[in-house]
Amino acid sequence: MLKSKLRLQVKSKKEKVKNKARFFGFAFFLFTFAFTTACRYDMQDQPRYKVYKKSDFFADGRASRDLPSGTVPRGQLREDKALYTGKKENADPNVQVATTTDASGNTLIASFPNAIEEFPLPVTKELVDRGEERYKVFCIVCHGPVGNGDGMIVRRGFTKPPTFNDDRLRNAPVGHFYDVITNGQGRMNSYASMIPVADRWAIVSYIRALQISQNPSSVTALPMTNNNTNTAPKPAASPTTTPATQGGAR
Amino acid sequence: MAQIFHRGANNIAKASIAVAIVLAGVAGYAYTQIARSSYLTNQYLERQQPVQFSHKHHTGDDGIDCRYCHTSVETAASAGMPSTQTCMNCHSQIWSDSPYLEPVRASFRDNKPIEWERVHDLPEYAYFNHSIHIAKGVGCASCHGDIANMPSVYQENTLQMEWCLACHRDPAPNIRPKSEIYNTSWDKNEITPAQQTEVDAKIKTLRSKELLTSCSICHR
Repeated sequence: MLKSKLRLQVKSKKEKVKNKARFFGFAFFLFTFAFTTACRYDMQDQPRYKVYKKSDFFADGRASRDLPSGTVPRGQLREDKALYTGKKENADPNVQVATTTDASGNTLIASFPNAIEEFPLPVTKELVDRGEERYKVFCIVCHGPVGNGDGMIVRRGFTKPPTFNDDRLRNAPVGHFYDVITNGQGRMNSYASMIPVADRWAIVSYIRALQISQNPSSVTALPMTNNNTNTAPKPAASPTTTPATQGGAR
Repeated sequence: MAQIFHRGANNIAKASIAVAIVLAGVAGYAYTQIARSSYLTNQYLERQQPVQFSHKHHTGDDGIDCRYCHTSVETAASAGMPSTQTCMNCHSQIWSDSPYLEPVRASFRDNKPIEWERVHDLPEYAYFNHSIHIAKGVGCASCHGDIANMPSVYQENTLQMEWCLACHRDPAPNIRPKSEIYNTSWDKNEITPAQQTEVDAKIKTLRSKELLTSCSICHR
């Protein structure tokens, strides 16, 4: 009698445990189901960052991150000062340059003590052709087709830039043009993030070609020299100098 | 016992088979048409952008090259969106008081990017690289249409897989001479003999149809 009662009790206890397990199982299912629906991603919209995607994680909302300051990408130490800055090795950053002001209100630099005189890379027909192509993308909008400062943007109301075709810029060293493209000058912003280093030199070589085309008699007077000793990278294929295209960071 | 169905029900039953086949056909056709419709592909949909930027004005009227702003189109998968500084290259002086450009100036002041609405949104299981298409001689207009005459940019094509494949199976009609790649208004019939020679040589360098249509070309 007592034995059977005990057995009954055990049985109901077993049942209770079973029910409990069933309840928790169901609750667990509901719980996980709720989370799976909340985390649902479609294949066409995957939880990863692509270029220019918005980020909820970073405070400024950009998924494309800038390089931490002070880091140097492998192979981009930029030791060749002439190539990367257009300035002489012993350039004095505090040097006073002579300036004048033209009719449009531009401050014109008349002396170029720090700029290098010679191209730091071989000037070839390919370089000049590449420069022509790049000039027509980036420079022609203001400087005009032959560099007289009559581009479409100037006709729309932008301040007229100084012409390339006067004695001041004909005699200016190539490093000056490179420096202006890189760092900007007057009302012109820096184009460093838009034009890779080798392309900037290509553009400088094309500016020289334009100056010759507008003043053919003075060809020999142009400081267009090239000692071909520098083994700089070829211009057309130089992705190593285009940080702007790496992951869209600017 | 009375018959449940009328004698004519035989005919109805036979006819219903034909009707079912026709209905299935219509439904199938409707499905293909709805799947290709601009309602689902967002084709021709003009989106509201934070700035009323007109490609027609900047490219068509002012003649600014595509690459002035989309600088990485030749070198990277993404064509590149211009930084606000690129806008300010000109708009520091031109239209510098315009209320239309206030979002641009605010972006420049606060160092916050302008949040453009993406018009061409490929699904993320599809790999696309701008630079290889440019390098092989496919012009902007082949996919994006005549951007230089679009005040507000819309999606010219469906961007569906069948559309990608149509060109990957037979890319030759979409190969342009290098000089016309960024000319979105170029008329193919105006091709010069020299350009035709250039294009023919380019077509010979293309990969085979089998490789261009293999799965892992686009799904990697």
